[in-house]
Amino acid sequence: MHPVQLFCWHFMAYPHLPEDFDEKYDTGWVTVPNSLWDSEKSRGLFQEYIDQLAYADELGFDGLVLNEHHQNIYGLMPSPNLIAAALTQRSSKAKICVLGNLLPLHINPLRVAEEYAMLDNMSNGRIIAGFAPGGGPENYNYDIPSVTSRERFWEAVDLVVRAWTDDGPFNHEGHYYPLRYVNPWPKPTQKPHPQIWIPGSRSASTLTEVAKRGYCYFLSSRSHGGETYKAREQFSKVLEDHGDSYQPYRMGILMSAYVSETDAQAKAECEEGVWYFLRNCLKGHLRKEGRQLTFGAGVPYIPAPAWKEFLKHSDPERSMLGDVNDWDELDKAQSIVVGSPETVHRKILDLIEKSQVGNLLIQFHLGNMPGELALKSQRLFATQVAPALREDSARVFAKAYPRMEETLAAAGAEA
Amino acid sequence: MSLRTLDINGRKVSVLEDGAGEPTLYLHGFADVHAVTEGWMPFHEKLMESCRLFAPAHPGCAASDEIEYLESAEDLVFHYLEVIDALGLDRFHLVGTCVGGWVAAELAARHPEKIRRLALIDASGLFVSGAPIGDIFMMSHPVRGTDYSELRAMLFESDRTPVGHELFPDGRAENIDDELRRYQMIRFTNRFGFSPPYFYNRSLRSRLHRIAAPTLVVWGEADQMVPVAHGEAYSAGIPGSNGVELVKGAGHSPQAEAPETTAALVADFLRG
Repeated sequence: MHPVQLFCWHFMAYPHLPEDFDEKYDTGWVTVPNSLWDSEKSRGLFQEYIDQLAYADELGFDGLVLNEHHQNIYGLMPSPNLIAAALTQRSSKAKICVLGNLLPLHINPLRVAEEYAMLDNMSNGRIIAGFAPGGGPENYNYDIPSVTSRERFWEAVDLVVRAWTDDGPFNHEGHYYPLRYVNPWPKPTQKPHPQIWIPGSRSASTLTEVAKRGYCYFLSSRSHGGETYKAREQFSKVLEDHGDSYQPYRMGILMSAYVSETDAQAKAECEEGVWYFLRNCLKGHLRKEGRQLTFGAGVPYIPAPAWKEFLKHSDPERSMLGDVNDWDELDKAQSIVVGSPETVHRKILDLIEKSQVGNLLIQFHLGNMPGELALKSQRLFATQVAPALREDSARVFAKAYPRMEETLAAAGAEA
Repeated sequence: MSLRTLDINGRKVSVLEDGAGEPTLYLHGFADVHAVTEGWMPFHEKLMESCRLFAPAHPGCAASDEIEYLESAEDLVFHYLEVIDALGLDRFHLVGTCVGGWVAAELAARHPEKIRRLALIDASGLFVSGAPIGDIFMMSHPVRGTDYSELRAMLFESDRTPVGHELFPDGRAENIDDELRRYQMIRFTNRFGFSPPYFYNRSLRSRLHRIAAPTLVVWGEADQMVPVAHGEAYSAGIPGSNGVELVKGAGHSPQAEAPETTAALVADFLRG
């Protein structure tokens, strides 16, 4: 039986912004003044967030997810590996997925190879190694030139993987990271190396690079209308072009969920956190209001001919997730699933049926949501949604991928 | 007006060429030929009344090919040495605005013997403590998806400057190619100007004394991107410069904001 893998993702948002933040500040990213950080109110914040993830492990989630952000209120983990280190000691079964270390932001990617290897040893082989190039805000955070950040990124990915798999010491003849001695101690526990996940937003080049290397593709979009289905079709096609074939565990998606006893109660309980997340945390990232840095002319990584196509077919006034006006619009975006266990089960199963994606990375804590609500939502999800979801998804996948057993066995043998 | 395409080791370089007189190499900036317009602007038309103007589009701008390995002003200097040879220029005047001015200063410091007269207009390239160069990349992200007022305020005397609205209108450009040109210029500068050093070369100042040509330093008095202190530093470091000529009513782009005055200043100077 091959059920959907359910992950609990924590972004670790800053929850103590003033009420008039949205009126007064044009972004939650890069230039959001850190004079807003309240040291007193923030005592114990990391402990609370780590406890929520440790609880997800107890509840039987398949994995815990962390990621890297800098100088922003959306995610307080400039070094997700520090949190991952804490989790190795606070969890026992769940995979620990760091999605990912932002390689171009590291002077030397070897440091990432070393830290992941340490984490893999400390967790007894539970690490999923994510690598990401970083988006617009991260280019500003660490002054990374966007035009070459993808090249830098793939050189770094290949270096890290080679550092784990080839015997050292060896000389890396790289363009961005020439190194005379590559010889990491320790090496990872998992052989040949931890599973590798790479995020993307449907760009053909990322899909191709991921397919070529046999890694897992993580669709970084937060909304799941037709695009998610398209992404999976696109990825399947690219995999076939590379003599490989799609199966649900090759892809992951990000979504948010809030579960309570009834639909009405769920909405009432999470609404404040949801709006805090949409209006504040997404400001500068997935919101038209203010200055959006994630994508645009200031981070010109797209070659000119492709940019011309983008200009022809896009509308600069289009709304993004953070611009939704009301609950109905939010519901249509299929980004945040809110409701009773039955409602959440139905909506997520529908998404699984349409997308055939086998890794669901679910954010439970949203914005300034009180800890006890996040814990309750995780518990209701794990006890009243997950069991049926696992059973139903296994049936969906078995029907759609009758040869999954062989595919997985072949992939395992190859590894 | 004639548009030539040079072949430099298999790379295309587009060059606009016009006017009669001393050969003058013109290296463009942001609110400038190739970066916002396909052809000459009033400034260049005025300037070419007294010289033969050669204006190559930087690598990746207009129809010039990108240089994949480009990552420093040094790479650009060698690129332009090839362009100069391909154009058959021996000794020539050199004029540059913004990053074009930076490359001009680098060229003049390395090959002082090639340059007759040098004019720098609101040139980046120097590190001046306490006077950081403005972040044109961040300003290129419009507010609410369409509002470029802060970009205009950085490139011009203020957001009220009419030519700013003409060259950098809000929202999607009527002609997509205009918006694409601006993007190409930003992408070109991102390769060597984005990461620290941000639009400067720490070593350049100690090399300025090598520049042998008489030099004119022209600056928009209200430059919000490359502060006037940078003009003063250029002037102080270049032996053949007599202070900074400030252009009233102009910010970072006097060639666009005060074309008559600025062209007259440069033309008079080039005539010697």
